[in-house]
Amino acid sequence: MDALVFYISGILMIASALLVVTRKNPVYSAILLVVFFLLTSVNFLVLRSPFLAVIQVLVYGGAIMVLFLFVLMLLNLTEEELDEKVDPRRKLLAGAGSACLFVLLCWAVSSSERIRAAGAVDLTGKVEGKASTAGETREIGKALFSEHILPFEFTSILIFIAIIGAIYLTRTRRTVKRENTLTEEPGEENS
Amino acid sequence: MSLSLDLCLYLCTAIFSIGVYGVLSRQNIIVILMSLELMLNGVNLAIISFGRYFITVEGAELSGVGASTSQVFVIIVLAIAAAEAAVGLAILLAVYRRWRSTRVSDMRLLKG
Repeated sequence: MDALVFYISGILMIASALLVVTRKNPVYSAILLVVFFLLTSVNFLVLRSPFLAVIQVLVYGGAIMVLFLFVLMLLNLTEEELDEKVDPRRKLLAGAGSACLFVLLCWAVSSSERIRAAGAVDLTGKVEGKASTAGETREIGKALFSEHILPFEFTSILIFIAIIGAIYLTRTRRTVKRENTLTEEPGEENS
Repeated sequence: MSLSLDLCLYLCTAIFSIGVYGVLSRQNIIVILMSLELMLNGVNLAIISFGRYFITVEGAELSGVGASTSQVFVIIVLAIAAAEAAVGLAILLAVYRRWRSTRVSDMRLLKG
């Protein structure tokens, strides 16, 4: 039953991912990306990672998608600006390149002895022993704040730098000039 | 019906390749950033499947903390993806203010 859910949501994931990269309008891409993230969280649930499934919906489906949609609405791109004018040869080349990558990676997966030996293991099966609680919030918290505390702290520094960088990049340089243009505009409309 | 590791990995490979196609074929930076998110999601799913496999096989010997290592990896990847999206969109806003364009081929200031 769990495996069936994984298959169905996997097929839908591939379909929505293909739609994300082929839609002309970025707003459709963003909405389909939300669908993709929700399906990914279903797959995380099947692989017994409930905490990550929740985090996926919160961070990806919530925060990152709001950021994307916010920027899309802020830019308010016109039809002309959305027209990408991509060379069909470039599309063909990109398709061939990514298909080659796909075949290569599939070959790497299928030729690996260990992965072939792992084919008999059911990933949705029950786990005995101490590891049966793996993936639960308590275990992740313990692992994050004891064994992996150093990467955790480095990640927090990285996010701090990213916040500073984002604020620095999006600041408006000449606020005085902007005020001038704002006061000039009504006069222009009158004349 | 059972779920094997290689099937999960084929799914991850497919999603990663679709992301690569998006990065290579699109001109709009917003869609390119979305494709990057797709690629990161494919990698996340692969890490989770590997972690699940090792828990299923060696679950008896692993401690609870050791079994959660893959989940910690994914959390860190997720945090870095969020930081990447924030900085990428900030760069996009700065570029749009300067050149009024979101096409990557219009950004050739550093082109030799």
